[in-house]
Amino acid sequence: MITQTADWFDERLGIAKFTRKSLNKIFPDHWSFMLGEIAMYSFIVLLFTGVFLTLFFVPSSKEIIYHGAYKPLDGHKVSEAYASTLNLSFSVRAGLVMRQMHHWAANVFVAAIVVHLCRVFFTGAFRKPREINWVIGTMLLILAIVNGFLGYSLPDDLISGTGIRIAFSILLSVPVVGSYLAFFLFGGNFPGHSIIPRFYALHILIIPALIAGLLGAHLAIMWHQKHTQYKGKGKSERNVVGVAMWPAYALQAGGFFFLTAAVIAILGGLVQINPIWLYGQYIPYKVSYAVQPDWYMGWLDGALRLMPSWEIAGFGHMIPTVFFPAVLLPGITFTALALWPFIEKKITKDTAEHHLLDNPRDVPWRTSVGVGVLAFYVVLFFASSTDVLANSFQLSLNFVLWGFRILVFVVPPIAAFVAYKVAKEAGSVPGTGRRKRANVILRNAQGAYYTEQTAPRSPQHEEEVAEELPEEVVYHALDRNHHGELVGSAAPSGAGGPAGSPSHSGVDLGPLPSGGSGIFRIPRVRRSAAPDGNGEPIGGIGDRG
Amino acid sequence: MSIERRRAAKLPNLKRRVLLPAAVGVAAAGITTLALLPQAGAAQSNNPSDLGNYGYTGSYIYGGTPSKGGGPITYEKLNPASIPYGKTLFLENCSTCHGVEAQGTTRAPNLQGLGAATIDFWVSTGRMPLADPTVQAVQKPPRFSRSQTLAIDAYVSSLAPGGPAIPNVNLTLANLAQGESLFSTNCAACHTITGAGDALASGVFAPSLMAATTTQIAEAVRTGPGNMPRFGPNTLTDQQVADVVKYVDYLKAPNDRGGIAIGHVGPVTEGFVGIIIGLGTVMLAGLWIGGRAK
Repeated sequence: MITQTADWFDERLGIAKFTRKSLNKIFPDHWSFMLGEIAMYSFIVLLFTGVFLTLFFVPSSKEIIYHGAYKPLDGHKVSEAYASTLNLSFSVRAGLVMRQMHHWAANVFVAAIVVHLCRVFFTGAFRKPREINWVIGTMLLILAIVNGFLGYSLPDDLISGTGIRIAFSILLSVPVVGSYLAFFLFGGNFPGHSIIPRFYALHILIIPALIAGLLGAHLAIMWHQKHTQYKGKGKSERNVVGVAMWPAYALQAGGFFFLTAAVIAILGGLVQINPIWLYGQYIPYKVSYAVQPDWYMGWLDGALRLMPSWEIAGFGHMIPTVFFPAVLLPGITFTALALWPFIEKKITKDTAEHHLLDNPRDVPWRTSVGVGVLAFYVVLFFASSTDVLANSFQLSLNFVLWGFRILVFVVPPIAAFVAYKVAKEAGSVPGTGRRKRANVILRNAQGAYYTEQTAPRSPQHEEEVAEELPEEVVYHALDRNHHGELVGSAAPSGAGGPAGSPSHSGVDLGPLPSGGSGIFRIPRVRRSAAPDGNGEPIGGIGDRG
Repeated sequence: MSIERRRAAKLPNLKRRVLLPAAVGVAAAGITTLALLPQAGAAQSNNPSDLGNYGYTGSYIYGGTPSKGGGPITYEKLNPASIPYGKTLFLENCSTCHGVEAQGTTRAPNLQGLGAATIDFWVSTGRMPLADPTVQAVQKPPRFSRSQTLAIDAYVSSLAPGGPAIPNVNLTLANLAQGESLFSTNCAACHTITGAGDALASGVFAPSLMAATTTQIAEAVRTGPGNMPRFGPNTLTDQQVADVVKYVDYLKAPNDRGGIAIGHVGPVTEGFVGIIIGLGTVMLAGLWIGGRAK
């Protein structure tokens, strides 16, 4: 039945070849390659919970009298946006857990993007030919941050309303076009009645569509260029060593999606986030102390707090102080970030293709630059909670503020210097990062003690581990003797079939089900098929075409 | 008879057996929900009389002649017989800085005519006696028992007339929703909207309201301790003070429907939990699933 259906489509669309190739595609297996996946899975959770929220949220600034389930606000004049969020939280079944999952997923989403970006940066995965994907990645980060801010603003509560107020002032601070920009976006002066519906359209339609499109491009390019891999045994610039798409990688990734969703669901169910009913409706004359944005905007808030109130004039006009930390800083940040592959190319003059990753210790100068820059933003991030830190540690707010003003210049060079020295040191010690071999203490006949290093792990040992895996995983195994051929090495060794023959890849197609051109037939090798049991039992090797 | 035909024959029977109870169940649930909804609403709804009296009633009595009315705030009647004991306590614990007649010295202000509420607030919250007058007083376990505190209050307020008496708030006559409105307008700018408190500037801070009793909250509103503004009877009526007190009292254990409250300080702790616990846990899961360096 399945074979017939598959054949029906294959005869019309010719999908068998592509599907077969896809199912056999090799993905390098390393936990750090799964950081980007966390971001993607959080995004899927965001889409599902977000769709649920749109069913109940009313994007309107129209004022109504609230008579809902939350009594401390009974009879208050609130906007429909705020009232519908309260209704969502108190009267809609599972509404609050969905809202909280959405918010936690957003926090995890951006955090995963940042950690993924750090992995890509420190391992040099952005080098040729992956510059385009790096640029797309930085665009995804910007869109994620912007959409997080928009979503945070939609409930129209006291805390987020203050954030919108700040955003309005930031737009106003842009020289020449600022007032036009601000009035264009807000449809007039702050607060107006247009901003909630406009943010809503951006938040649920335009920016998610952009994110989904760029994410698709990000993945398609990754698929086309194939994944990078760490240096190691059997890995070269010309091959990909890892597990195949089906079933190993697909099941692994599917399981990881459920784990990510589970963590977000647990947070959404157990830990309260953004209790807007305690904050109340945003009214411009009301303000609460201790207002922070969500964490991914923290570095901008921190920069705003640290900026001294200088009056800087240019071209005969005063440029508002806000412009420098809130417009110029992110502008420089994201431009430099997006252009980094090209900046590095200018410095290193390296125009070669790279599919093997650097270990951060191998390139101390890049690691040092990355750590220094990261330290700068981490200090800014902590500076956004000056008041909470001052209150928690019973310090003067002014002391904390001035402390951060100094730290923001002192910490990055120190961090960069330390990172450089550590990377240099680690890189110069042979065998750093490799698994240590145990020393055994022995005693000789004379009663003297001596140590002896244990033998290196034998391939036999590795195979014993592999044998615990279910048989389904052990497929697409390749005869080690045929590696050379497959990866196009000049000197094929061993007794393989001639290149170009059906068994050229060294894969025994095994017993096939009946039928001529089925999609789901996967070339497989039973363990006995690998001569001398020296094959690559768990994964496979893909050709980097 | 083939299986299909037997199934077809059973279908109407099945329908009757399953669909009817289901329909009855849905209808019953619907009716119950409809019946319960207004009740659930009414259970917490505000009595119209709560909305009542916002005008200045004149029940706000200064000095040593407190009222015993039935309003939202009644005033403590201090016992004149405790004045000598209060004087002893004052001389032992307070006079070094405030002077033997509470007239003030170079170290501490004159207390005469401030009223019993002022004295009661500072002593009952443990802020007085104060070790170092150059830093903001913090709440700590009070040195005196309630009767000792009242004796000191009685003594100091007997020295000169004036100032508010000690308020007792009747929360059943206060309106929570009005309290929220007044709190967010007048208090949240320093104490934060959740009452968690925050650092202000140069070592000055707005304390957390979580440990304050209803009487202490009303005293603070009426007397304006430290940097806090004083809200007199022409700014907030007794009813309004009671409303604010009711909301602050509610904030001590608010509706944390979402789960663990993580400090009520907003995105700072939320970001911490999101990054460390959220992303951290998922990364550990990734480390568990994914391969390691070989």
